[in-house]
Amino acid sequence: MLWVDKYRPKTLDQITVHQDVAQNLKKLVNEQDCPHLLFYGPSGSGKKTLVMALIRQMFGPSADKVKVENKTWKVDAGTRTIDIELTTLSSANHVELTPSDAGFQDRYIVQEIIKEMAKNRPIDSKGKRGHKVLVLNDVDKLSREAQHSLRRTMEKYSSYCRLILCCNSSSRVTEAIRSRCLNVRINGPTEEQIFKVLEYIGKKEGLQLPSGFASRIAEKSNRSLRRAILSFETCRVQQYPFVSNQAIPPMDWEEYITEIASEIMKEQSPKRLFQVRGKLYELLVNCIPPEIILKRLLYELLKKLDAELKHEVCHWAAYYEHRMRLGQKAIFHIEAFVAKFMSIYKTFLISTFG
Amino acid sequence: MGDIRKWFMKAHDKDNGSGSKKAKPAPSSLEKSASAGKTGPSGGESAGRQITSKYFASEKQEAKDAEETEVLPIIRKSPRDTKESPAKRKFQKYNEESPKASPLKKSNKVDDNDDDAVLSSSKKNMSEVTPNKKLKSGSGKGITQKPVEIEASDDEETKGTDSSLKPSGRGRGGKGSSAATIGGRGRGGGRGGFMNFGERKDPPHKGEKEVPEGAPDCLAGLTFVISGTLDSLEREEAEDLIKRHGGRVTGSVSKKTNYLLCDEDIGGRKSSKAKELGTGFLTEDGLFDMIRASGKKAPPRQDPKKSVVKSEESPTKKNFQKVQAKSHKDLAAGASPAKQKSGTAEFSNLTWTEKYRPKVPNDIIGNQSLVKQLHDWLAHWNENFLDVGSKKKVKKASDSGAKKAVLLCGGPGIGKTTSAKLVSQMLGFEAIEVNASDNRGKSDAKIQKGIGGSNANSIKELISNESLHFKMNQPKHHKTVLIMDEVDGMSAGDRGGVADLIASIKMSKIPIICICNDRYSQKLKSLVNYCLILSFRKPTKQQMAKRLVQVANAEGLQVNEIALEELAERVNGDMRMALNQLQYLSLSMSVIKYDDIRQRLLSSKKDEDISPFTAVDKLFGFNSGKLRMDERIDLSMSDLDLVPLLIQENYINYRPSAVSKDDTGIKRMDLIARAAESIADGDIINVQIRRHRQWQLSQSSCVASCIIPASLLHGQRETLEQYERNFNRFGAWLGKNSTFGKNMRLLEDLHVHILASRESCSGREHLRVENLTLFLKRLTEPLHTLPKDEAVKTVVEFMSLYSISQEDFDTVLELSKFQGRKNPLDGVAPAVKAALTKAYKEASKTHMVRAADLIALPGMKKAPKKRIAAILEPTEDTVEGAGGETLVESDDENSVDNEGEENSTNGQKLQLELQSLNKKGMQVQLDLKGVEDSSAKKSGGRGKGGRTSQASEKKGGRGSGSATKRKR
Repeated sequence: MLWVDKYRPKTLDQITVHQDVAQNLKKLVNEQDCPHLLFYGPSGSGKKTLVMALIRQMFGPSADKVKVENKTWKVDAGTRTIDIELTTLSSANHVELTPSDAGFQDRYIVQEIIKEMAKNRPIDSKGKRGHKVLVLNDVDKLSREAQHSLRRTMEKYSSYCRLILCCNSSSRVTEAIRSRCLNVRINGPTEEQIFKVLEYIGKKEGLQLPSGFASRIAEKSNRSLRRAILSFETCRVQQYPFVSNQAIPPMDWEEYITEIASEIMKEQSPKRLFQVRGKLYELLVNCIPPEIILKRLLYELLKKLDAELKHEVCHWAAYYEHRMRLGQKAIFHIEAFVAKFMSIYKTFLISTFG
Repeated sequence: MGDIRKWFMKAHDKDNGSGSKKAKPAPSSLEKSASAGKTGPSGGESAGRQITSKYFASEKQEAKDAEETEVLPIIRKSPRDTKESPAKRKFQKYNEESPKASPLKKSNKVDDNDDDAVLSSSKKNMSEVTPNKKLKSGSGKGITQKPVEIEASDDEETKGTDSSLKPSGRGRGGKGSSAATIGGRGRGGGRGGFMNFGERKDPPHKGEKEVPEGAPDCLAGLTFVISGTLDSLEREEAEDLIKRHGGRVTGSVSKKTNYLLCDEDIGGRKSSKAKELGTGFLTEDGLFDMIRASGKKAPPRQDPKKSVVKSEESPTKKNFQKVQAKSHKDLAAGASPAKQKSGTAEFSNLTWTEKYRPKVPNDIIGNQSLVKQLHDWLAHWNENFLDVGSKKKVKKASDSGAKKAVLLCGGPGIGKTTSAKLVSQMLGFEAIEVNASDNRGKSDAKIQKGIGGSNANSIKELISNESLHFKMNQPKHHKTVLIMDEVDGMSAGDRGGVADLIASIKMSKIPIICICNDRYSQKLKSLVNYCLILSFRKPTKQQMAKRLVQVANAEGLQVNEIALEELAERVNGDMRMALNQLQYLSLSMSVIKYDDIRQRLLSSKKDEDISPFTAVDKLFGFNSGKLRMDERIDLSMSDLDLVPLLIQENYINYRPSAVSKDDTGIKRMDLIARAAESIADGDIINVQIRRHRQWQLSQSSCVASCIIPASLLHGQRETLEQYERNFNRFGAWLGKNSTFGKNMRLLEDLHVHILASRESCSGREHLRVENLTLFLKRLTEPLHTLPKDEAVKTVVEFMSLYSISQEDFDTVLELSKFQGRKNPLDGVAPAVKAALTKAYKEASKTHMVRAADLIALPGMKKAPKKRIAAILEPTEDTVEGAGGETLVESDDENSVDNEGEENSTNGQKLQLELQSLNKKGMQVQLDLKGVEDSSAKKSGGRGKGGRTSQASEKKGGRGSGSATKRKR
């Protein structure tokens, strides 16, 4: 098993990084009045782990008996029926799903499927009326319409259905939804905390950790615990006994973006733009989300950029990212950013160095 | 071959059209200048009107010339000025004359007004007026030679067809119009299209040169042959240019050829022949110079040197020619009395299409063999099908008689209905025509009810009654033929129409002729089998032009043959349309020129579909700056989806001509950035259109995604990569997007499997972005480092832990494949790979099956449908009998649980299905039993074996249940 999964805390008590949050949640559940919850925070901070532990706390071991279903729903959308494919992870008391997977049809998922799920009231074996929990991932990626449809569902069925929403950025969740939830901010773990976790894992696995190695991983992880553990294990697979100056391998796609960035810096010409387009296509085809590509590309470019251009370039990156979300064909927008960057940078180079 | 060729011809035609569009601005601007000078009609008037004014201008000028010759002969410096466009000349004349000859002008004006009045008041009698006028001017000028020339220059064009009578004597007189040359032209048309398709290189400086504008007939009477690749023009463009200026283009060099137009490629057959014959060589630049010379230098001053060629022309010759032509015209008029002018006046309310509808089968243009076939079929119909009485099957001797009905198919306006009618008329059949205006639904089965208004019933009646006629031995009396016109138009209103028609054909006692436009129409699939198919082809443009000339002569129109050929080409073989257009043109003018037809048909041309590639070529073309906005919108609208993609794919490749000096490339880069941003705008607008159905934005989308990038970057295309062909690439987005979709599905599979393993709960995105690298390492690294057996064991264990199937293994490899990275499996010995596959297969028998698509169903190669995942748990309870029942119940319950109403009915259905499918269900169960048995053993040893069997059984049931459902 991967270490990320192996050392994932199973209960609220086991949780170390966000202990305070965990304890509060525990109290909340024990008082039997759990409101809708909205967890937000950067990826790799432990939202999902907390949610799973919370559910376990609520329903006991039955929460572990999950089944995965990937089925096609037929949704009647006025004039036609739409087939929507959706993966759900469900136990007797909770259902977990990612509505934004349906892309721009997420509205129908919220309007039809989630409503259906919320409507049905589970009945305990003892005849007691329980409540069920819907876990929705990536709510910030839901379209505006879908979020609007969601808020009615939240109110109407709130007597026996709780929603737990997970997202990275609360600013992309509408005000209306935020106000209906108890917002829980999950910070990214500090490097210190990551370092501790890594050491813990190292001890459990019986590894020799050279001094500074774990802290270096923690540093490179960008405060994402998952990232840190994954790269820790990658290092382990690559080379064991660790050396203190061992290279921490980047993700394959990150490496590729670094390459692209240095190519862009080296030459700004239509020809190069064309080559870059090919590479961007490759990243997209390999299912790397375009926002991440753009963000990473900007990051790599900024590393090599003169200070006076940074501001402008960041502005344009934000501009094009925004437009990318409005649009549909991500490549057009990323390419527009690259073209813009090339234009700016070339002008800068020539005006500076002639 | 015929079809393919036609196809290519069509493509070629399109290209011609493109040329025309580009060339368009030239004449219009010219006209404008003319009208501005005249102060008469305002420049903003419709094309037709402008043309009219032009015509009047020339008339005026003629009249004036007549006077000039008497009063101010000095002004006319040389006869050559006939070459100038009349309008221009007039303008200039006014300039020269205005100080001196204002009274004269006045008298002219009066004259003109008279002409105008006559023209406009009696349009019907125009054909009569025209000759009158001609007579007038002719008589006025007949005394001196010069005026006659002027007249001749006009006439010359119209007389093209009657070439055989013309003297082929000196120089260029007969040259353009001899019969041989016409043949040459025909070949010329084909040559551009098919023969050399893909063979000839692109012009090296394609679209880089400014195409000059000159006087409209500055090349009149000259014959060109184009050879090889020109410097900047496509062959078609060059042809168009020459034609527009009144020249002829032929396919091969002959004595009549004046110039061989070529820039390189000297040494081919054409050039050697040309050398032999002493034909002049002309480069593209030379041609441009010729045209430019006429266009620029001519108006201010008539320079005798300006057109070297034209100076050779002798007045006498022209005169002679004109006389000849005139006499011939009379001759022609006398020859066909039906088309005389008196007739014109009489039937003037008829449309020309009716008036000149062929009267005998031989009049039909083209397709003579098909008409003959139809004739034979109809003539022998009775003996084939009726004389033998009931034993029809016996007689199937002649092919054409074998089918009881005939299906004429072909494009509109090529004479299908006419042929059918004429042939039946000729054979003395009474034609009953049923077309789309009649209801042609299925007839009532019971004819006894009577005809009762239903047309279909009356058809039935007709065809069965005819048999009565026949039995009553009156075959000669009422021979009837049923013409079912527009059978492919049988639509929603005509339910069962085609089937009924077939039934009718089967029982018919009279011949049936069906007519359709598209024989490959889905509706006609069944009909085709019962019919003899005669596919009408489009007549060639020469054939059409010949007929059009006849019509034009009969109506007293002066039309040049080149113009008519152009017309024939433009209407795409549709004779009816050609006639209609001609009639329309005749309302406003009696002399029709090449340019008039071009202009007139420009709008109808657009309806023809242009390929997205052509559209993009034009948008990015060197001359695209001259395109009007609506033309650009039309181009980009030609395919709303594809054109933006092509633009996006190719805009980087263009070197913008808007940027003059750009050593560093900054400007170009800047333009590219702007274009890219505009393309991105287009994407955003497109989302609004598609997702929110804001179709009113489609023009904005066009502007943003096509027109702005194209207008920023239009220019010369250059290649970015080595060995790339310098053509626009197809948009990569479509392909990439579908690969992306495929990979996304694969990733989803992997994700579901991993979730099903219940070891991980990360989302799909995180799986790809963060976990995949490690997965790859864990899956491939051991194969490199560890010894074979151990490596295989480690990997297989890891795979089974996360329920990773072998396909998922490939997915992981596929998704982390990047250009320039080596495949992580490189360097792994084949033996290890083989061992891995083997071990995986071995292990898959024993390890837990957690997702439905991982179950191998008997008799099925692949899992039923991918991704109906469900978990199969090991059960202690492997008794099969109970399995069926509990399975159904639990399944039912499950679906009620969390899928709601819709699915509860589903579940019930499933139950029924399962019961009825007991047999199959059992089979699946049996197979699963094997799996479960073995996995049960394994799970016994595992820590997680402690799950209640009840729950797990439930899930097992679900899995197999859905599997069975799928299987059905």
